[in-house]
Amino acid sequence: MSTKIPLVPENIKPLPALKENEGMLSWVASVDHKQIGIMYLLASMVFFVIGGIEALVIRIQLAQPEFDFISPEVYNQMFTMHGTTMIFFVVMPFLIGVGVYLVPLMIGARDMAFPRLNALSFWLVIFGGILLYYSFFTQSGASEVGWFAYAPLSEKPFSLNKGPTYWVLGLLAVGISSVASGLNNIVTILTMRIKGMTIRRLPLFVWMILVTSFLLVFVIPVIASAFAMMLLDRLLGATFFTPAHGGSAILWQHFFWGFGHPEVYILILPAFGIISEVIPVFSRKPIFGYEFVAGSTVAIGLLSVGVWAHHMFAVGLGNVANLYFSLASMLIAIPTGVKVLNWVATMWGGKIYFATPMLFAVAFIIEFVMGGLTGVAIASAPIDWVVTDSYFIVAHFHYVLYGGSLFAIFAGVYYWFPKFTGRMMSETLGKWHFWLTIVGFNMTFFIQHFLGVMGMPRRTYTYQDFPYWGSMNLVSTIGALILALSILVFIWNIFVSLRSGKEAGNNPWHAWTLEWATSSPPAVHNFDLVPPVRGRRPLWDLEHPDTPDEPNAKVV
Amino acid sequence: MANNKMLVGFFVASESIFFVMLILAYVNFHNSVTDGPTAFNSLDPVRTGIFSLFLLASSFSMWLAGRSLSTKNHLMLKIWILVTIVLGAIFIYGQASEWFGLIDQNITISRNVFGTTFFTLTGFHGFHVCVGLIMLSILLGLALFGDFKGPKSDGVECVSIYWHFVDGVWIVVYSVIYLWAFL
Amino acid sequence: MENLGGIFNPSSPEMEAMAGLTYYIIGISVVILGIIVVAVTYIIIRYRKQHGDNSEPFQNFGDLRLEIVWTLIPIAIVAVLFQLTCSTMRAVDPPIGDHEPDIVVTGHQWWWEIYYPKSGVITANEVHVPVGKNLLLRIESIDVIHDFWVPELARKIDAIPGHPNHIWLSASEAGVYLGACAEFCGTQHANMRIRLIAQTEEEFNEWQKQELVIPQTPRAGLTGKGAQLFQTKACMNCHTILGTPAAARIGPNLTHLNKRQTIGAGVLTNSPENLAKWLADPQKYKQGSLMPNMKLTESEVKAIVAYLEALK
Repeated sequence: MSTKIPLVPENIKPLPALKENEGMLSWVASVDHKQIGIMYLLASMVFFVIGGIEALVIRIQLAQPEFDFISPEVYNQMFTMHGTTMIFFVVMPFLIGVGVYLVPLMIGARDMAFPRLNALSFWLVIFGGILLYYSFFTQSGASEVGWFAYAPLSEKPFSLNKGPTYWVLGLLAVGISSVASGLNNIVTILTMRIKGMTIRRLPLFVWMILVTSFLLVFVIPVIASAFAMMLLDRLLGATFFTPAHGGSAILWQHFFWGFGHPEVYILILPAFGIISEVIPVFSRKPIFGYEFVAGSTVAIGLLSVGVWAHHMFAVGLGNVANLYFSLASMLIAIPTGVKVLNWVATMWGGKIYFATPMLFAVAFIIEFVMGGLTGVAIASAPIDWVVTDSYFIVAHFHYVLYGGSLFAIFAGVYYWFPKFTGRMMSETLGKWHFWLTIVGFNMTFFIQHFLGVMGMPRRTYTYQDFPYWGSMNLVSTIGALILALSILVFIWNIFVSLRSGKEAGNNPWHAWTLEWATSSPPAVHNFDLVPPVRGRRPLWDLEHPDTPDEPNAKVV
Repeated sequence: MANNKMLVGFFVASESIFFVMLILAYVNFHNSVTDGPTAFNSLDPVRTGIFSLFLLASSFSMWLAGRSLSTKNHLMLKIWILVTIVLGAIFIYGQASEWFGLIDQNITISRNVFGTTFFTLTGFHGFHVCVGLIMLSILLGLALFGDFKGPKSDGVECVSIYWHFVDGVWIVVYSVIYLWAFL
Repeated sequence: MENLGGIFNPSSPEMEAMAGLTYYIIGISVVILGIIVVAVTYIIIRYRKQHGDNSEPFQNFGDLRLEIVWTLIPIAIVAVLFQLTCSTMRAVDPPIGDHEPDIVVTGHQWWWEIYYPKSGVITANEVHVPVGKNLLLRIESIDVIHDFWVPELARKIDAIPGHPNHIWLSASEAGVYLGACAEFCGTQHANMRIRLIAQTEEEFNEWQKQELVIPQTPRAGLTGKGAQLFQTKACMNCHTILGTPAAARIGPNLTHLNKRQTIGAGVLTNSPENLAKWLADPQKYKQGSLMPNMKLTESEVKAIVAYLEALK
């Protein structure tokens, strides 16, 4: 059959602009998932700049041995807030926000299942961020006990200032926000898919958001309970984590990492989802091994709750525990590796088109594999005994969080910016951003592997003038400055493209999932008509009615 | 239509994990108190058990409220919701008086790890009961204004799921704190 | 090329085992990364979309056999890695049995208390060990979590209040090995350094003997004045000097301070000039440390320095 069902007509009722009458109010009061999604992205970007400045302060202080750019107290606040901000106020809001925007579109729905809950989730992030950053304006400053707030350092009498209390309160707000988002996503994905979109035809991005949402729902309560206990300790004199009064410092670590480890999978799975959307489109092929990519995601989700104590190999839990957690942590590398191989196989035999999203997606593969391999190394307890709490670990997690999550975020921004705004981003500026990032990122973090094995501990505001330590740290700092420049280019690209980017049209990348079957930006009600869903790539089926993905699909 | 019951179901699952962590903390410290108050020497399982029966009964009355809803018996719906609230409030009274009794003997949250874990676990449970009582009161108020003619109502059914959850948590908490110490 | 330290200079059998395992796994990782890099590079060159070519390539949905193969191979690699992990762990961390510790290390904010239970020596920040002997260390903390780390000799181990830990440590060659606290413990975590001095057995015994000597408290002259000031100026509220009433453990034991190589847990080299500078204002050299500025006059500083330098 060759009659094409018409796609959605051009957008005639765009999202309200800020300058319009009541434009600002309509954004603040909005329960529309697209507006909320954009607000999540904007908030994420603001916090990214703040967190980046904190990182630059850290790197400048470390550029030379025994440097006194800032005091130890300020330094300790910097690294605490840098980690907290990047994890909870940059990567999570971005990934949740882009999910909030795209999931309803990708499943052919009008909005999320609970639009007002969606808005609450967003505003709780803002509220939490204000609570957290307010601490800088108090007399004793922000929290200076690290983003992991180990007890008893974070408890009385070792931490008497208010910083950690604000920190806990801000994160509790964000935690509630995340659970609400997780619940909203689960109900939306399970109950609001358009007819024909079975679970097995879900875009992989939606799969990843679904598994991530389950993780959020089951794992945030773990840290919420720990935060509650810590607040009770700090404010009411409870004794959960104070060894001097019968409490247990190790219990805090179990609770924290019981959340903290699944959290890093929360930070990477939606990123995997972005990559799983970008690579097929820019290779002009379907994802290779869809079932294996989806299935390995579920495996990672399940395994992720059983490996937390690989962050505690130096705690002295005993070698039976150490061996179990080593083995489990190595096993979790296998489904991740399967994904990487499927992405590479998707590119094989394709027709690869290197727009900026694809540049970041391919770089993601390399950088993430590097971070993942150092991760397998430190899954082995004896190796961890050598490198834990050193710059080797800092290098490892920046490779997976920056080279991984953030590269995927950049790919997602360049990929979906045309859909969200109706304009293309500048390819020239995009390529500048990309190459500055590659140089700056690897310069900053590759050398830190060596600093770690040579003996440089982390979370130290200065270091002694050991051979090459100064010059290696200086190289890392220069890399960080190049990264800062790359971010300026990125932000400039966003501004310039918003004002004068080329008009995008519905589907500039000739992609195949439902979000491209509506105008750019989408109409307020998302779709006038949704193309029939008889496979994983409805738009491919529409354009290739003689070679649909599932030739034997039942016509719905 | 958004699937409200699925939302509340997953929410309840999430809160269950929260309570599991509080219970784990209690269990972790259960045997480590060498001197000072413990569950064994400070608590009265019989008294608390009696008040627990009121909470269990409130689950039963809530179930009956659900049946009245589905048989469109508006009068009995209102009565059973009211009974649920009263029974729940009696349970809270029992908890509060138990707390005041302990605090009077200088058994507080900061006294030792028993005090810490006991008050935290029962406190968060009591808080969840109070939130439930507020929601039930809202339901009652709306019912008095004529809402919930039945046979279905997401509002009533979702609050009911939550209330049964709160009751289920208490069965576990009571077993861990009161029964385990005395068996 | 200068000694790069750390994993590049393993100086004990345990460290050699761990360094060996690290090189092995990094080696495997480099090979795997190499395969991925080569594959991706080949792909992006060979399968680049040609300008003007808008046809779609063959739509390959997957291959079950390939999936099985590339799941089984990583499982095999993991099995090998795990087996190596087990054997290395056994080599590095054999059971304690009923050995008594040779050294008890207690972490404080921000210094290390070192106690030798078998001889009774108490010192701070510097650990002396006889070369070649496999020693059992008990690691504790009196306040927050610290971590005892001498990169060239041994694994890291946390010092956790309420939860003592044990490690085996040995040094294959004589020399000075530098280490650090490796768990964030507050403001001066960066300056909680460890100095491990491995000596021949004779030198070690001689050192222990000297450390056990209780010095005479001087009564006259500048040193006598220093001794008196030490008692009256609140120093004894935090420090211990054997042979005097000063017996507190909040700060390091100073009885044989003059024999140590550094002061302030590694912040300054030990010399009369540096000691004077430290006493004049410790906060200048270790901001946030628990030793306040005692507001000593210059002559008071001179007297106390003379007293401490003369203790034998």
